[in-house]
Amino acid sequence: MVSRRSFRYAPRPVTGRETTLDTLAVGDDAEVTAVQGPGGIAVRLLEMGFVAGTRVRLVKVAPLGDPLELRIRGYHLSLRRAEAAHVRVRR
Amino acid sequence: MSDSILRVALAGNPNVGKTSLFNVLTGSRHRVGNYSGVTVECLEGELSRRLRGDGPPMRLIDLPGIYSLSPTSEDERAAYELLAGEQRPDVVLLVIDASNLARNLYLALQLLELGVPLVLALNMVDVARDAGLQVEPRELADELGVPVIPTVARSGEGAEAIVEAVRRAGAAAGAEPVLVPPGPDDEALREALEGLGSLPPVRARTVLLGHLAGVAGPGEPGRWLDGQPAERMRAAAEQLVSARYRRVDAILERLGVRERMSREAPAMSRSERIDRVLTHRVLGLLIFVAVMAFVFVSIFSWADPVMGLIEDAFGWLSGLVSDVLGPGLLTSLVTDGLIAGVGNVVVFVPQIALLFLFIGLLEDSGYLARAAFLLDRLMSRLGLHGRAFIPLLSGYACAIPAILGTRTISSVKDRLVTILMIPFMSCSARLPIYTLVIGALFVSHEPVFSTGIDQGLVLLGMYLLSTVSALAMGFVYKRTILASPTPPLVLELPPYRLPRVRDTLLMVIDRVGDFLRGAGTVILACTVVLWALLSFPADRTGAGEGGPTRVAQSYGGKLAQGLEPALEPIGQDWRVGVGIIGSFAAREVLVSTLGLVYGMEADDDDPAELRQALREQVDPDTGEPQHTPLSGLALMVFFVYACQCMSTLAVVRRETGGWRWPAFMFVSMTGLAYVAALLVFQGGRLLGLG
Repeated sequence: MVSRRSFRYAPRPVTGRETTLDTLAVGDDAEVTAVQGPGGIAVRLLEMGFVAGTRVRLVKVAPLGDPLELRIRGYHLSLRRAEAAHVRVRR
Repeated sequence: MSDSILRVALAGNPNVGKTSLFNVLTGSRHRVGNYSGVTVECLEGELSRRLRGDGPPMRLIDLPGIYSLSPTSEDERAAYELLAGEQRPDVVLLVIDASNLARNLYLALQLLELGVPLVLALNMVDVARDAGLQVEPRELADELGVPVIPTVARSGEGAEAIVEAVRRAGAAAGAEPVLVPPGPDDEALREALEGLGSLPPVRARTVLLGHLAGVAGPGEPGRWLDGQPAERMRAAAEQLVSARYRRVDAILERLGVRERMSREAPAMSRSERIDRVLTHRVLGLLIFVAVMAFVFVSIFSWADPVMGLIEDAFGWLSGLVSDVLGPGLLTSLVTDGLIAGVGNVVVFVPQIALLFLFIGLLEDSGYLARAAFLLDRLMSRLGLHGRAFIPLLSGYACAIPAILGTRTISSVKDRLVTILMIPFMSCSARLPIYTLVIGALFVSHEPVFSTGIDQGLVLLGMYLLSTVSALAMGFVYKRTILASPTPPLVLELPPYRLPRVRDTLLMVIDRVGDFLRGAGTVILACTVVLWALLSFPADRTGAGEGGPTRVAQSYGGKLAQGLEPALEPIGQDWRVGVGIIGSFAAREVLVSTLGLVYGMEADDDDPAELRQALREQVDPDTGEPQHTPLSGLALMVFFVYACQCMSTLAVVRRETGGWRWPAFMFVSMTGLAYVAALLVFQGGRLLGLG
């Protein structure tokens, strides 16, 4: 809830085969196209390796429905859906 | 600090075996270092004698595990300030995981930009080798232009070569910053770096990312960036990070491991199989509950016999001293003041050691990250990180280890919220109070169910009240005095590993030592002060044995009598007031202090006589019983909320670095306790109860 309020960047419309990371199904592979969202989260996501062109896979969803387990650059990372929604990907 | 000592900082991602290597290099002789302005603790130690040989001394600083030098988290800000500030080390030893190079090399590039003499420890080469991810240290060294030493920190392999390389790097003239240049299409980045041209290049890059993250400090560079179109500067930051990752990919490509590295870290495929059970939708939660139950029960009950032994030992010592010195004030000071005070400190050691043993083993094995993964949904509702769960749960056993356990939470504000929540959890020291009051006053002739069940339900009610109150107060603090957005969860799920027992035990010893030094002195001092309150004015005629009259005439007794106008509205008299004052040493002391007031030798385990006395005491004015179920309920509610524990306050002072927060905690909790007890007693009377 709190992170929603600090969202200052209007998300670009998701077009064509582009979607956001939180909408992938378990086992889906995709390629990062852009990182949006508040600056602090964007910088963190970029530096953890979410730069355009990187492959990412949704490995698992936590038992309570959130957060997500992702695989990127050979390691596993957990993000909440709210944060994953800032990462635009192409399937 | 002499100039001839080589100062070496150990940096690296979390979970790369940095602390293991630190322990190997220092031979485990170290202490918590103290750096001005650095809130995150760093261990500090001298190079072990064996590794030092005839060479010059070396001081090693273990930085917190970080993913980048951009100051977006407190750990990273601390690391950046240490590496780039005035206390900058002579050499940086960067520990990287050979089986997970991509993200590790990103940090390496940032350190190269910083221009500090750098040595790379290519750790876990055994894991990488087994997985066929052979990286030639020589080739990596050529790519980066810094020495690369293969190590296996678990076994100590490579330690001598590290020392040699660090010495050589320290003797060299220093290092030039190696910058990753903007790519041909990175117009925005080029423009931003030009605009920030007055800054040293590495600072310009840090400011650019820090500004986007909203954490760049005030001043000239920030103002220039404020004037630029936000989208443009955002693109510049993106291009900067992309350029660095392009460089990482190019290095991996030339080492011939890019394809395989990008697929799956080798240890991860086994971990994924383990996770099929441990983070399974149903099994995962069940196993988590079982693990937590195990941790909780063991802190609650395993520590108990050891604590009993410690108490017996100090009791024996007291007995010995009074036998030798004979009765008198001095004996009382030594036994009831000093020895009891030291005992009050040492008695916490078993619980602290156990909790940190479990946290250490769980963290090291990789399970703690999974626990945060499982629980994050619940904790994020409160606005906290999943890591806050274990300290909060430990609060049911004892607030002291639980508060020390909040160190795994990296945000200062969230850590404070958790620290403020913990004392509301009903710790084991409240149990003797609840059982005394319930046993004495909740014995109806017409029980609702049966006396046993009624009493059990009252006890359960106290625990529920404390849990709901802790969560509610956390919710309030998180949104008022300690407001901050819910921290983003960017949590690495590292491969499962066998925990390193040696490193974990060293950590446990550190924590216990820290507690004894930091909080122990305050606890000891408080015990002596409380002793004085209940012992003076001294009884010159008696033989030093306490009795009801003597306590009534003590400063503590006088204070309680003075407080009686405030105690009456919550259904208590001055006798209970003395108990409340005495229980500041530790809540369960209420039982023995009340025993003293009623002039009997109360047995902590079965205070049957005391229960009888409480039940039979009559209000001299009205002739009604002084203590009723309603006044008992008010007293228990008071203890649910009141911070009647000097040790908690001493630890909070130690952890927050001042008296501000412990003072706030004491005042707010006591106020809340009084109001709650008042509502219960007066509300109950209005409803015609009691």
